[in-house]
Amino acid sequence: MSGGARGGEGGGVSRARTLGTVIRVGVRSNFGLAIIKHRLFKEKKDRWLAWLIAVSFLGVVPLFYGVVLTVQNVYDILKPMGQERALLSLGFLAGQFLILMFGIYYVISAFYFSRDLELLIPLPLRPAEVMTSKFAVIVINEYLTVAAVVLPIVVTLGIISRAGVGYWVNAALVYAALPVIPLAVVSLVVVAMMRFINVSRKKDALILIGSILLIALALGVQVVLGRTAGGGGPETNAVAVAKFFTSPDSLLNRIGAFFPPGIWATKAVAGGFTGQGLVNLALLWAVSLGLFVGMVGLAEMLFYRGVVGLGETTGKKRRLTRDQMSRRVTSGRRAVAAVFGREWKIMNRTPIFLLNGTLVAVIFPAIFVLMATIDTGGGGAGKSGGGDPMVLLRAMISANPLIIILATALFMTICGSINGTASSTFSREGTQFWISRVIPVAPREQAAAKFVHSYLVAALGVVTAGAVAAIFLHVKAAHMAAAAGLSLVAGVLLTVVGMAIDLARPLLDWTNPQKAIKQNLNVLLAMLADIGILTIVFFAVKALVKAKLGTGAALGVLFAALAVVAAASYTALLKFADRRYPAIE
Amino acid sequence: MIELTHVSKSYNKGKVKAVDDLTLTVEPGEIFGFLGPNGAGKTTTIKMIVGLLRPDAGRITVEGHDVAKEPLAAKQVTTYVPDFPAIYERLTGLEYLNFIGDVYGVPKADRLERINKWLEIFELAPVVTNPIQSYSHGMKQKIVLTAALLPGPRVMVLDEPLVGLDPRAAHQLKEMFREHCGAGKTLFFSTHIMEVAEKLCDRIGIIHRGRLVACGTMDELKAMDRTEAGQSLEEIFLEVTEK
Repeated sequence: MSGGARGGEGGGVSRARTLGTVIRVGVRSNFGLAIIKHRLFKEKKDRWLAWLIAVSFLGVVPLFYGVVLTVQNVYDILKPMGQERALLSLGFLAGQFLILMFGIYYVISAFYFSRDLELLIPLPLRPAEVMTSKFAVIVINEYLTVAAVVLPIVVTLGIISRAGVGYWVNAALVYAALPVIPLAVVSLVVVAMMRFINVSRKKDALILIGSILLIALALGVQVVLGRTAGGGGPETNAVAVAKFFTSPDSLLNRIGAFFPPGIWATKAVAGGFTGQGLVNLALLWAVSLGLFVGMVGLAEMLFYRGVVGLGETTGKKRRLTRDQMSRRVTSGRRAVAAVFGREWKIMNRTPIFLLNGTLVAVIFPAIFVLMATIDTGGGGAGKSGGGDPMVLLRAMISANPLIIILATALFMTICGSINGTASSTFSREGTQFWISRVIPVAPREQAAAKFVHSYLVAALGVVTAGAVAAIFLHVKAAHMAAAAGLSLVAGVLLTVVGMAIDLARPLLDWTNPQKAIKQNLNVLLAMLADIGILTIVFFAVKALVKAKLGTGAALGVLFAALAVVAAASYTALLKFADRRYPAIE
Repeated sequence: MIELTHVSKSYNKGKVKAVDDLTLTVEPGEIFGFLGPNGAGKTTTIKMIVGLLRPDAGRITVEGHDVAKEPLAAKQVTTYVPDFPAIYERLTGLEYLNFIGDVYGVPKADRLERINKWLEIFELAPVVTNPIQSYSHGMKQKIVLTAALLPGPRVMVLDEPLVGLDPRAAHQLKEMFREHCGAGKTLFFSTHIMEVAEKLCDRIGIIHRGRLVACGTMDELKAMDRTEAGQSLEEIFLEVTEK
């Protein structure tokens, strides 16, 4: 049976064609191209959304412009020292770090939790072909992820240095290869990890622990990278600094020493069609292909052993006694409490949801802690020497109590709202949403339960960020209390906005839980809405300062205004739920 | 009691008419079998009865409650079993039953009695504390059925409830159908299994291209049939749905 019509196991052309088909189907199904086409051009349903996204991206133009100006300024500073190519390196390294971080989520979810695996595995396909298709989808996702970081630097540098054709051609080829090395490394580790996890009975817990360890490792890499790039911290003396800056490309080599592909990418782009450029380009591609082939080889051996049976949980058969049953059967719980309990359990028991939701509320402040501890040479929180980046930050915000409070509140609010818990709360129900539609619980009560759950996660982020700010920014208790008050009330508003966006267009037909939260457009739309709201708050604060109100009065007015808007938006959300639920078909 | 009055539903901006002017009454104590070819409008009708879809026109009442105007009152007396048991895989069977008990406000004594009874009948008692994720398709179907029976509903609406059940469970479910309706409650279910409909149902409705083309008791359906050979439900079904 094996092979047969397709010319056996090694049937070159037909296998290549099969691989092409699997990749094409994977990409089309993952990005929902057929659905997008149908909705935009046949049903003409989501055209408003296409416009909204286009307008939102226009809103990001000033931000892009800011990045371009910064790149230009840094280029002007580095150029006389012969260090300008370090900018490219920083861009590529930042891009690859992002790929590494997001890749952990993408790889675990796409390789092991997407429901189409149940359809793909019984087909006469090799494990490597299935995995290659999934890898291709992740690579495309990563192109989109790193575009915001890498493209402004590469394009701006190309334009201001009046780069030739070689620069642009090599830049395109480097960009094409950029995600492969970090993703292949992540895939190799994950495939090996899942092979062992799959034999265990505590799969979910191990997946969670494994993922956290991988994320911690990626963050650790960033710390080491920071130390490497930072040039040694407080012990650096003037002579070393002078030597460092007068030696051409020393910064580039220092950054790249930790992660050589960063150097190869930089030299390939900067060198263009010169020998150095082509050799480095070839090196980058050769290593990328080598790692990819290695990953495919490992996939052929281990992928199916890790994935087959992963969804199965073997529970022990255990009959409860009458007493035990009587104790475990609940009674008298209100519907809101029951819905909240369901939300809580499902979120915390689904590794992908937990990693992308609740844990983000903690990871974001943790990244800040890492940034704070870079270059302190182990000095930690209390250190205030010249190498402590927090010193500058503290100095920047310590001028005025109003600035301290607002900056702290902004940090806490962002940490509370950056996770996608609220903006995926309806989408996460997926095909099980029918249950919420048929139970005799008013939509407003269900929305209220979901709000409590989402807000608790936001509050977790706010509290964690508050603790971090208190320790590292030395924010006083009174200032912290004011900042906490502001961010907790702002958190209500942002939670409501996220939920409303998801309620307006819930994504219920996902096959991969990653799509419900990480790749859910509603999460991005909610972030854009949050930026808009915080911008409005910024202008409101400016107006209050201009009105020459005292710090206490200004904060009081701001708090009261936020509280009124938050309460009104919460009431509107409940009404919207009553109207929207019956219309979701 | 379920009443559908001139109910219509179409998709794709009216281009596809799924249900066309359907009028139907299912009396208390009645087992009503709803038959039809694939795509005839069975699931659309069922989803409208339980409030998952909104009719474009017409009115649906359950136990006198208008599904559109008093949705909560209608839902309080109705339970639904879908054709595919998509339920919360990360909850245990017992957690899911507790959730359903809580949202329907089932008193503890009733809850305990019904849970114990149906878990034993469906042989789910030894696995009720395991995550639903670990259940087979048939076990998931059984836990959905147990959840639907837990509130002791006046009206049960089931879409292909026998699919995925082993013969013993199917037999027990049919017994439950009789018991349920013996207490004056209403049961509305769709099926493709003609023998089951023929033996079990008090009345049968056949829907074809969105229209109710036949409705009545088995005797009434046979009387409708003008062909000599039209003796079995299968033959009647084939005749009324061939156009």
